[in-house]
Amino acid sequence: MKNWIDLLYVIDFISVGILLSAVVLNTLKRLESCIKAYIFNSWLLSILVFFVAIKTGNLHLYIAAFLTLATKGILIPMFLSKIVRQMKVTRTVEPYLSNSLSLTISGILVTIVYTSLREGILVTGFSVHVLKISIAVALIGLFIMITRRKAITQVLGLLFMENGLFLAGFSLTFGMPIIIELGILFDMLMGVIILGVFIVQIRRNFSSVDLDSLTTLKG
Amino acid sequence: MTSILYLGIMLFFVGAVIPLISVRKTKNYAYILPTTGAVTLAIFGAYLLFTPPVNISSISITPVLEFVFRGDAISGFFIFVISILTFSVSIYSIGYTKSLANKGVMGFLFSIFILSMYAVVLSGNIITFLISWETMSVVSYFLVTFDREEKSARAGLIYAVMTHVGTAFIIALFLILYKYTGYTDFSDIKTAVKDLPDAIKTVVFVFAVIGFGTKAGIIPLHTWLPEAHPAAPSNISALMSGVMIKTGIYGILRIAVDVLGIGPEWWGIAILVIGAVSSVLGILYALMEHDIKRLLAYCSVENIGIILLGIGASMVLASNGLYKLSAIAMTAGLYHTLNHAIFKGLLFLGAGSVVHSTHTKNMEDMGGLIKLMPYTAIFFLIGSISICALPFFNGFVSEWLTYQSLLFGFKSVSVTAKVVAPMGGAALAFTGALAIACFVKVFGISFLGMPRSDHAESAKESSPSMIAGMAILALLCLVFGIFPDSTIKLFSPAVLSLTGAEYMSSGKNILYISEIASGLSPLAILVAMLAIFFAAVVLIRVVGGKRKITYGDSWDCGIPSLTPRMQYTATAFTKPIRIIFKKIYRPRQDVKISYTLKPLLVKSIKYSSEITPFFDRYFYKPVANFIHSIAGKVKYLQSGALHLYLGYILATLILLLVFMS
Repeated sequence: MKNWIDLLYVIDFISVGILLSAVVLNTLKRLESCIKAYIFNSWLLSILVFFVAIKTGNLHLYIAAFLTLATKGILIPMFLSKIVRQMKVTRTVEPYLSNSLSLTISGILVTIVYTSLREGILVTGFSVHVLKISIAVALIGLFIMITRRKAITQVLGLLFMENGLFLAGFSLTFGMPIIIELGILFDMLMGVIILGVFIVQIRRNFSSVDLDSLTTLKG
Repeated sequence: MTSILYLGIMLFFVGAVIPLISVRKTKNYAYILPTTGAVTLAIFGAYLLFTPPVNISSISITPVLEFVFRGDAISGFFIFVISILTFSVSIYSIGYTKSLANKGVMGFLFSIFILSMYAVVLSGNIITFLISWETMSVVSYFLVTFDREEKSARAGLIYAVMTHVGTAFIIALFLILYKYTGYTDFSDIKTAVKDLPDAIKTVVFVFAVIGFGTKAGIIPLHTWLPEAHPAAPSNISALMSGVMIKTGIYGILRIAVDVLGIGPEWWGIAILVIGAVSSVLGILYALMEHDIKRLLAYCSVENIGIILLGIGASMVLASNGLYKLSAIAMTAGLYHTLNHAIFKGLLFLGAGSVVHSTHTKNMEDMGGLIKLMPYTAIFFLIGSISICALPFFNGFVSEWLTYQSLLFGFKSVSVTAKVVAPMGGAALAFTGALAIACFVKVFGISFLGMPRSDHAESAKESSPSMIAGMAILALLCLVFGIFPDSTIKLFSPAVLSLTGAEYMSSGKNILYISEIASGLSPLAILVAMLAIFFAAVVLIRVVGGKRKITYGDSWDCGIPSLTPRMQYTATAFTKPIRIIFKKIYRPRQDVKISYTLKPLLVKSIKYSSEITPFFDRYFYKPVANFIHSIAGKVKYLQSGALHLYLGYILATLILLLVFMS
């Protein structure tokens, strides 16, 4: 039992890392470093799942950890960096807001989440911190999507949101049944591939991936 | 006996499906099925009139959603009216739809439309009523937009908006009734409603008048009629104007008279005033129309007004305790409902034949049709005489009864009723005079004189089935006009269940009202008129001696050869009326003269005049503009920027997080 409680501290520790890797996204200027932040985030996530898997000895958690690592940690980042390389110029993220302002807002988001959820222990044995962090990560991902101009950063924001939601689901129920988990991961992979192809196509046709241009599509 | 109902319904269902699946040439003959269905349902309607209320079926899907169909004398009367018109319109449709594109869809919608009207009048509870009502509205919307032209689409939009505004009020009134009584079944509500406070009853009454009045086409909720009736194919306009708007009358009778019972006097006065305004303004606007179907649509507004005058008089008399007289007034209202279904159906079918063969709805392009389409002309004339309430056709009887019942207002205790009811009579008299002017114009301009266009010149008489459909209605106009006594006996059970009293006539085919010692025998008038006619002929022969007939040209003012352009036009014919009622019409005239050499040689003069559509401009336009401006403000939310939409999501999420946890 003592062992388990120690592990909970480790899990809290890792999840703080996940939160930090999301917050740090606000300050990064180059697309490559944003992708690195995402890699970091995903690896931490899969390590977290892996620890819980060791502790509970649940086979499906091992598979989940492995799949998370393979898709979110390796395949998707590889694909994204390939797109960034193909775009050649303009590798900066061009946010609407300044770094300091977006950091502040991220901080406010985290505070809101922390003040609105009560303290306590979840059914799974995790502390509520993990849930709070996961929601905060999802909100920060959404916030990134709002404040960034480029289509590829939208995709990144979406990926961070998904990681947050995965963590939320995991902390509440030890993750969903493996078949659903597989489905979601496969969806993500396909989604990112399709988005990537679109981004390249948009760039080829309109020589820009600035989403502001989409406003003209309004009826 | 309900098996007859099921047989009729099955006939309609089969009649709906067969046009969809049959081969092209036989599609028209599928209308035989609704024709026979109408006969069986007419029998069922007559049966309902003479038996106590029948529970037909109730299908319970969930405890809340239960379909209850029940028939009583009131539904029986309306089933009878619907069946009569359906019978002749179905026969007419065999010929009329021959040249139509999408015949199969037409046949399908036709049968479903009629079925939904039967369902409305047979509904026994709120849910059933609303579903049937909405089915009727939606199917009729598809029929209005049937020819897929831009104009029809616009008409359909106006119709859809208006009918849904009405339905909103109906739903509200049903919810109020449900909330305060706890029942959904009409008969339960009827017993429970007596204990309700007056304020609730008043709200229900007002909502019923607005909601059902929209469907019936009372002024100022009439705007969809002159748009939707011309846009729909003519057999459908006949059904819509003849019976669909009567479901609005049914709703008012069912809720305001049957369910709510006898209310305060001002309810009846309100109905009277609405009826008077609708009839006078309806016919005034009808006079100014040159589109034959728009004109007939405005005329429907007028006739709904006349029906409401009868019903309003009945309500006023009932709240003054004069139940016997109230029954006479209700008889007048229901009689006019029946009559209007018949003669307006006939007129729309006649107009349909004319439009079908001349390819124009504008009366200024018609003329001389009596020589080319003699049967259509005769039947249209019969319809016109009936609608003008001239003796020995049906309109005369019902309007005479309406006059009498309005004059009964003197017998009531309250002074208001004494003043308002006779004024309704005055409005009715005024309407009658204008109606004659209106139909002299319609018949004179379209059927008499010389053809005004090539289309009119090449018009052909319509097919036998179309003529047969009109002939049946024309015959009924005569029958219901000459035998009013038997007709009244037929639907007196409906009057009994609505007012609690019965109008007993003498039984010798004389309408006799013992309270004022006044009677009327249309048959005697017919005999007397025929006798006078033959006497006159004989007299001329005897006194005048032998006379020679010589044929010559019409006097042409010395200008050689008369042309159609010298004829009286519809615009010119109604000019005096336009001048007299300048205050109501607010006409605007525009004269454009172009010269070859000013001011001596005139090249052409263009004269155009239009009347101000009062309600469109001063009531609907501001409302529409207001809604549009709000919509314009809401549009700022929809900036089209992806980031903003994401921002909305984030804001919502945070709000939920803060307030829900």
